[in-house]
Amino acid sequence: MTTEVLASRPATRGDAWWLTPLVIWQAVYAAAAALATGLVVARTGIVITGTPRLVAIGILGLITLFAALSVPWIIRRNHRGRLAAFLLNLVLAVGAGFLTLQETNVFNGLDALGGTFGRGIPFLALMAVGWLIAGWAGKVTGPTARALRLAARWLVIIGLALLLIRVGLLPGVWTFLTRLVQPAALTPAAVAVVASLWTRILLSDEPNPIFRSTKAQLEIMDGLFFVSPNVLGFLAFLAGPLAFSLFVSFTDWDGLSEAAWVGISNYTDLVTDPFFLKSLRNILYFGVLAVPLSVLPALGLAALLNTKMPGMKFFRALYFLPAVAGVVGVALIWKQLYNATVGYINYGLVRLWDLINLLPGLDLAPPQPQWLSSPSTAMLSMVIVFSFSTIGLNTVLFLAGLQSVPGDLYEAAELDGAGPWAKFRRITIPMLAPTTVFVVITTTILALQLFSEPFILNAPQLSPNGPGNATLTPVIYLYQNAFERFNQGYASAIGWALFLLIFAITIVYFRTQRDRGVLST
Amino acid sequence: MTTPPDRTTTAEHPERTVARQLQAARARRRRRIRTGFGRLALYAFLGGFALLMVFPFVYMAASALKTPADTFRYPPKVLPREAEVIVVDGEELPVYSLPVEGNPTDVLLAEQGIEAGVFVDPDNPDDPEDQVAWPLALAEDTGRTAVVDGEEVGVFVVPVGGDTEERALARTTVVGRFIGQDDPSLETFAVVRTAPAAEAITARWENFSDVLDRRGLDRALTNTILVTGLVVLGILFTSIMGGYAFARIRFPGRNALFLAYLGSIMIPFIVVIVPLFQLMVSLGWIDHLGVLVWPFLFNAYGTFLMRQFFMGIPKELDEAAVIDGAKRWRILWRIYVPLSWPAIATLGTFSFLYAWNSFVWPLVAIQTANEEDWVLTTALRQLGGQSVESPNLIFAGIVIAVVVPMAIFVAAQRYFVENVATSGIK
Repeated sequence: MTTEVLASRPATRGDAWWLTPLVIWQAVYAAAAALATGLVVARTGIVITGTPRLVAIGILGLITLFAALSVPWIIRRNHRGRLAAFLLNLVLAVGAGFLTLQETNVFNGLDALGGTFGRGIPFLALMAVGWLIAGWAGKVTGPTARALRLAARWLVIIGLALLLIRVGLLPGVWTFLTRLVQPAALTPAAVAVVASLWTRILLSDEPNPIFRSTKAQLEIMDGLFFVSPNVLGFLAFLAGPLAFSLFVSFTDWDGLSEAAWVGISNYTDLVTDPFFLKSLRNILYFGVLAVPLSVLPALGLAALLNTKMPGMKFFRALYFLPAVAGVVGVALIWKQLYNATVGYINYGLVRLWDLINLLPGLDLAPPQPQWLSSPSTAMLSMVIVFSFSTIGLNTVLFLAGLQSVPGDLYEAAELDGAGPWAKFRRITIPMLAPTTVFVVITTTILALQLFSEPFILNAPQLSPNGPGNATLTPVIYLYQNAFERFNQGYASAIGWALFLLIFAITIVYFRTQRDRGVLST
Repeated sequence: MTTPPDRTTTAEHPERTVARQLQAARARRRRRIRTGFGRLALYAFLGGFALLMVFPFVYMAASALKTPADTFRYPPKVLPREAEVIVVDGEELPVYSLPVEGNPTDVLLAEQGIEAGVFVDPDNPDDPEDQVAWPLALAEDTGRTAVVDGEEVGVFVVPVGGDTEERALARTTVVGRFIGQDDPSLETFAVVRTAPAAEAITARWENFSDVLDRRGLDRALTNTILVTGLVVLGILFTSIMGGYAFARIRFPGRNALFLAYLGSIMIPFIVVIVPLFQLMVSLGWIDHLGVLVWPFLFNAYGTFLMRQFFMGIPKELDEAAVIDGAKRWRILWRIYVPLSWPAIATLGTFSFLYAWNSFVWPLVAIQTANEEDWVLTTALRQLGGQSVESPNLIFAGIVIAVVVPMAIFVAAQRYFVENVATSGIK
């Protein structure tokens, strides 16, 4: 609709005062990008080596190309010019803003905030109270609600203001300003301001008649703007590092000196590395025990909890607690429980054997394993802690799956005289199969990345065939290689090998389930 | 409530019969569950399992209030106990718990160094549970003898468990005289070194201040709150914007991009850790608190979750608003966000737990020596390694780390548990 209106008045597609400055700005942009590309190609000023250099040249080249193209496009009032200028200025604003914050040391200024933040915590509570009142205001109506909402808003505002003052916002801003006036920070700051102004102008409605932008074209601009924070972060902190990691896994990089391409030798070394093979054996043993122990009890519990009786939500919440508590705390608690001399588990075994010995003619000595230090039980201990942490989550997932099983099925089965076990066996399990596939896969992925439990409970050491590496897992081995021995290339190869293992197991499991007709889609 | 009269009751439809049977079956099922043994067994089983899941946390909370020695007690006891003392003339005297005439009594040590004998059952001389130490002066000599370990020894009458018995004198020792704390006329004798102390259930709250002030957990706690708050806000912001774009705005490459996001959920974080570490080194962020925040403001899960929720909101709502001329920015924050509180609460809780409990990255990115920038998980790990001699402090630290997420979970579980289920977040 809007499109037609816009198209019907070509006479008014006039000018705006900012069009000429924009053309000049884009031309300068293109020239600067070309200069930067040239510097990288010539290896003067900006020195990047190897594959990253090629990537940088590619990106800078593309930016140069589109910045240059945007100039004639804008002159011809082509929407492509608007889109290109918008995107280029968006990226420039983010990049220059980032550089400004980096130069003024704002990113690391968080340390200072960490020191003063404790003083502001009471005001955080004040804000929380305001927030609660706002929630409460939603439940009542009339003038009370309005008053409550007003009170809530002022509580939050005052709380925030006091918090900011208390944690030292004013001196912080002063420090920032003194750093900002340095040329190294002021230049990118100015560029960022100008570029974001352009972004704002180009995104607004004002240029619509000038560029005859259609509704669909405007939607594209909106879409790119809305995903941009997400996508830029995704590229910078996930996709980029991933690609880099793949590259590094084919080099002998130690994180400091220049990386040399070594082909697939990191991967071939893995195949013969006794530690890596040991860690693989360990993790497969762990997975074979831990996955069923985390999934099967959860399935049973979910089936029991799936009734309309009172208290079921309470139990569900209790089972979920370990997942909330976090692995470090849970592991440290279990470390004390596992204590071979004074721990509760061995004490429990003594009491259990006392009970068993009440049977006539029995006088058995209770087992008192050294849970964490003996190679035969160390991994079993990890299995117990892991299952303890994951059962609750899996129970909740199964419960959700059960909600979608129609109750009629059970009723029909009862008419046919089916007992509880038959119903569980013939209805619950088949109907839950898709959920089971999901639960098994996510639990497996989690299990194969086992790190924190062994790291905290018994810190595996690399001693060939010794008891110390009974709980050596691939991720622990990766950690040791990357951050204790600085074999970054080798560590990356371990990471990708583990990823391939996870991927392969997932695919194989998925396939078998699909072939059995469990997954219809 | 009244129901309209059923017009078909006169004619016996076959469907009706089935329906009635179904109803009967339903009622039977309800009866079976609601009453009797089955229900009791179900609750017993669920309760037993709950006990198993909760016991480690009960043990944690109780042990956080113990003295160091109390954590090493065998047999272990859940509740924290401390030896009782009584102050007499400005001096602290330990209180002991000894049987007097068969009843356990709180007693005080009145006199030491009394010559005594260890009297044993001649038929069972090696059982340490069945030996009595009693002053020689008070033991009544029967004049008879018995053979213990191939030696002929005298037999005496001594009090055993509120009664008197004949026992053989195995060897001599030294005992103390104890008098009742409340009733000084009560008197008993025992070897002072092995006399069990009287204990009372106490709570040693200093453990918390100890661990906060002296072990640096206060800084770790505020750091964790700061980092977690920023990460939660950041994830909410980027996920709401990205989720809206993926759900409602058409732009080229949207589906491919979304697939890439979904795929990235499958990739273990550990694969990224090495290059991300290097990136942080080159930015100069490593070993600063910001390294725990800035890279984690973007979350594929969160984007996915918000997109799924936004997809369920009727499209007509924002189409109407677009015609009204409301910009998408306002549509998102004025229409979509207020409608999405369950999803936002879920994502908020999830990202809270994710940030609060994250361990591997802080371990890698913050050096062990840099105590200023520790978060709770890394501080706890250090505490676990250093305070092997006083697990009570470790437990106090765990309580501090665990109590906040648990409170958040209890507050938000209505949203959280149900939405975890529907979105499959892990």
